[in-house]
Amino acid sequence: MATPAARLRASASLSRATLDLSLARVLGRDYRLGYLFVLPMAILVLALVAYPFGYAIYLSMTRKYVGVAPVWVGLDNYVRLTGDGFFRRAVANSFVFTFGSVAVKLVLGIAMALVLSARIRGRSFWTGVLLIPWVAPTVVSALNFLWIYDYSLGVLNYLLVRVLRLLPQGVGWLSEPGTAMASVIAVNIWRGFPFFGISFLAGMKAIPAELYEAAAVDGAGAFQRFFSVTLPGLRNILIIVTLLSTIWTFNDFQIVYILTKGGPGGATQVLPVFTYEIAFGAQRLGEAIAVALYMLPALAAVIIVLARYMRRGQRT
Amino acid sequence: MDRRLRDLADQLDAGLIARREFLRRAVVLTGGTAAGLAVLRRRASAQPKTKLRVWLFKSFVTAGNDVVARQIEAWAKERNVEVETDWATFGDREQKFVAAIEAGNPPDMAEMNLYGPMRYKAALRDATKIATDVASAKGGLLPFAERAMKLDGKFLAVARYSMTTVFFIRKDIMEAKGLKPPKVYDPDVVEFARKTQDPSKDLWGFGQTLNRSDDGDGFMSNILWDYGGGVWDKDGKPALGTTFLKQNAAALQFAVDTIQKHKIQPPGVMGWTDPSNNEAYMAGKLVTTNNGASLYYAMVSKKHELAANTLLVLTPGGPAGSFVGSSCYNWAIFQKTKHAELCEDLIRWVEDEKRFTEYLQVSVGQAGPVYKARVDNPYWKSDPNYDAIIQNILRCVNIGYPGPMTPAAAEVQGQKVLTDMAGRVVVGGLSAEAALKEAHARVEEIYKMRRT
Amino acid sequence: MSRALARRLPDVTAYAVLAILVVVVVFPFYWMTITALKSETQMRSLTSMFWPDPVVLDNFRHLLQQTDFGAWFRNSVTVAVSSTLLATAIGTIGAYGLARLRFLGRAFMSAAVLITYLVPPSILFIPLYAQIRNLGLADSLAGLIAAYPSFTVPFVTWLLMGYFESIPEELEEAAMIDGASRFGAFARIVLPLAAPGVLAAGLYAFTQAWNEFLYALVFITDVKLRTLPVGLSSFITGDVYGWGFLMAGAVLTTLPVIAAYIYLQKYMVEGLTAGGVKG
Repeated sequence: MATPAARLRASASLSRATLDLSLARVLGRDYRLGYLFVLPMAILVLALVAYPFGYAIYLSMTRKYVGVAPVWVGLDNYVRLTGDGFFRRAVANSFVFTFGSVAVKLVLGIAMALVLSARIRGRSFWTGVLLIPWVAPTVVSALNFLWIYDYSLGVLNYLLVRVLRLLPQGVGWLSEPGTAMASVIAVNIWRGFPFFGISFLAGMKAIPAELYEAAAVDGAGAFQRFFSVTLPGLRNILIIVTLLSTIWTFNDFQIVYILTKGGPGGATQVLPVFTYEIAFGAQRLGEAIAVALYMLPALAAVIIVLARYMRRGQRT
Repeated sequence: MDRRLRDLADQLDAGLIARREFLRRAVVLTGGTAAGLAVLRRRASAQPKTKLRVWLFKSFVTAGNDVVARQIEAWAKERNVEVETDWATFGDREQKFVAAIEAGNPPDMAEMNLYGPMRYKAALRDATKIATDVASAKGGLLPFAERAMKLDGKFLAVARYSMTTVFFIRKDIMEAKGLKPPKVYDPDVVEFARKTQDPSKDLWGFGQTLNRSDDGDGFMSNILWDYGGGVWDKDGKPALGTTFLKQNAAALQFAVDTIQKHKIQPPGVMGWTDPSNNEAYMAGKLVTTNNGASLYYAMVSKKHELAANTLLVLTPGGPAGSFVGSSCYNWAIFQKTKHAELCEDLIRWVEDEKRFTEYLQVSVGQAGPVYKARVDNPYWKSDPNYDAIIQNILRCVNIGYPGPMTPAAAEVQGQKVLTDMAGRVVVGGLSAEAALKEAHARVEEIYKMRRT
Repeated sequence: MSRALARRLPDVTAYAVLAILVVVVVFPFYWMTITALKSETQMRSLTSMFWPDPVVLDNFRHLLQQTDFGAWFRNSVTVAVSSTLLATAIGTIGAYGLARLRFLGRAFMSAAVLITYLVPPSILFIPLYAQIRNLGLADSLAGLIAAYPSFTVPFVTWLLMGYFESIPEELEEAAMIDGASRFGAFARIVLPLAAPGVLAAGLYAFTQAWNEFLYALVFITDVKLRTLPVGLSSFITGDVYGWGFLMAGAVLTTLPVIAAYIYLQKYMVEGLTAGGVKG
């Protein structure tokens, strides 16, 4: 026989259950565990990314010198940048830097993945070795290349002039407008291609072996197998890695800053370095942040495409 | 600790008994003063000490850094203050200052370069009193240093030393060819370089980058002045592509010609950063170059064989004379500090003549005078090469010349407008005049923004 | 061409390409290492370019005995390990939540995590520093440990979302029918299966944290609290680069990560395979 108190408790728990059910209808089946699980991430994103980012957007609409309170100027900074020749050149350079670099990384990454999935001895050791550039600190690698490219004492000129005798005289790799951009791009490629390689390698492992067997039965050669099985199988990962790398490369600051600081004569001036110059050389924080955010819409488009492909990847 | 002693100590803390009373009773309790004194001493050191945050310039003169570090340590001990020092070099300083000021967390005081006080003036404390005190004890500031430290009649910082550039010559090569040190760039340096260089052996007559760098920017300022031009006019208004267009065009053209027409510079020179000419010179690939004392220091301190074969002379000039931009390292105190007196005390301590001389002794010519009394220090007679350093310092002019040194002038330097301009000619293929006009627009803009 | 050779041709090509890639990758590190072992005079004289003659250990000795290298190394380990654990924990449960659980705001949250990629760190560090200071974490390793997940969590989350998706949902349902709670199913069934993915994500986060420079430079002012990349760059004094010394530090900084990767790379491939990169 239920006591009134027990009955009350039962009805309370019943109504809590109904409430829970209707909350679940609104908020989703697993809302409790879901919110609990996502909460730390939400806090992190809000406190360490969203808030500073929001503040940065605000600052980009002000005239702001270091140590002085900001003065609201609306979109002035953006408007002024649009007409600024140095800014435009930095935008153009950024595109050359990004796409030049990503394109070669893509090709080298495929080569690396193909090699590492071939029948070779010590495969896992070589995989580890080829990952070195990607795991070494960028500061270290950039300084090392500054030393390698050095006109008079660098090993690159030594190799080309004295050992291989390909050139009559050394090249100022970082000082000629013709070679400076290529030289900084080369370092970015060197550092970044292993990520492409290892991602593609992983992607290839996920391609069912039956597809290759079927293609072999149809009499397809190595090249045909590559184009009819491997490449289509990698399609999604190819797009994702390319887009990710595009964002990373576009925001890459250290390599160019350490190697050329944007020189010679602005030939390698890319947006992150330009931002840095305005922020710390000129102390105009508002304008500097406007430079950094100017390309946001373009990058946002990349992100949207990326998100779409990643979701498609999840559905399969 | 004995329980009774601890109770006693608690009474002392609560202010119930005086220290003397505490000691007396402690003697009674423990039969001696030692235990009681030990308690007192332990308490003194447990007291939270005042903490002073000091940012210092990490100079290439590492022996000098050690001297400063030791002196500050000694001061901290003497004053019973805890000092946290942070050292940063050329490249890393600005982002640390900017981030710290913006986050409201600047140090109490910092050692800054010539531009620092102008750049961060909004965050700095008026240093007029301490700067005047220190200067009057040392026979007054040299005129350039006074102008560099002062804005609108107020001192922003306390001058410390001047690190000037000089002209480096390979004495052995010069003497082998029977030549004399050049006095002007055109034609002296050009001819000197042509006669001494040997491109087939990768030996070049002159090594002076026009790339974005402090070295390149310093040279560009100097050469504009040498030809009677400059970025600013007498009133501090932009003159780069207007009033001084003709003079500046001649200067810029000459700078570019050293690379393209006279071919007295090594092929990689347009990509050089600040360390490049030091390395090329020490590798024996340059006959002459412009640099600060760092290069001489590096050779002397490492007993490099070229140290003895190096002659330092006055920076060459042009038709309008020979000009050198100033340098003035200094101490600045931040507004936010709660320990301004301690900061001032520390400045007096390290700028004390005995301590400064200790620093000077190891500086290999880096710590040039900014105070009149320091010009006559016998140290400057200890190496004939130091004479060029002293003479260059005594005749140097500030950025902004012939006008006053202003925040706008500091920003033009900070943005490397002049080397960008040279790059537009060498790399971008613009004419000297077109590049000057383009750069002038940038200067105008900076001038407009900095005035408001 | 003989048939045997024709059959082996792909292998030969593979070895040839591998050789080229290995040379391109390894040579700069070889160069770094021998620079560290050369004497100053040899470095400037262009003699015996490819082998130090004589082998000089001064740079390493000086580095270990007269600088704070040891302390920096410990700091780097502390920061990298702690921030990796933090980022991996946050990312793992977050990814599971986003991949498997149904709740309002899931899509928004997924998008928000991705968007954090957009934020250029070269400028964000100024407001971020103010924020770290508000939290009372300026000039402490804790500040870095808190800040690093801001750029490692998005990738960790993305990788693991893919991984969780690849684990059949039926496994969890079966466990829940057997009486396990949703959390129990996650902890006991899904998490062990996702171990390679978690490891790969952790490896990524560790690398990023180990290499980070800008935040470490700005947030830390105490010399003793520096991390390796900042400590290394502090060997540059003024405009004189001590290449040998710098490279000695570079070698010692890079070796631990290289050693870790040569040993652990197979988890990286495995993690990526089943994770976000599946076709």
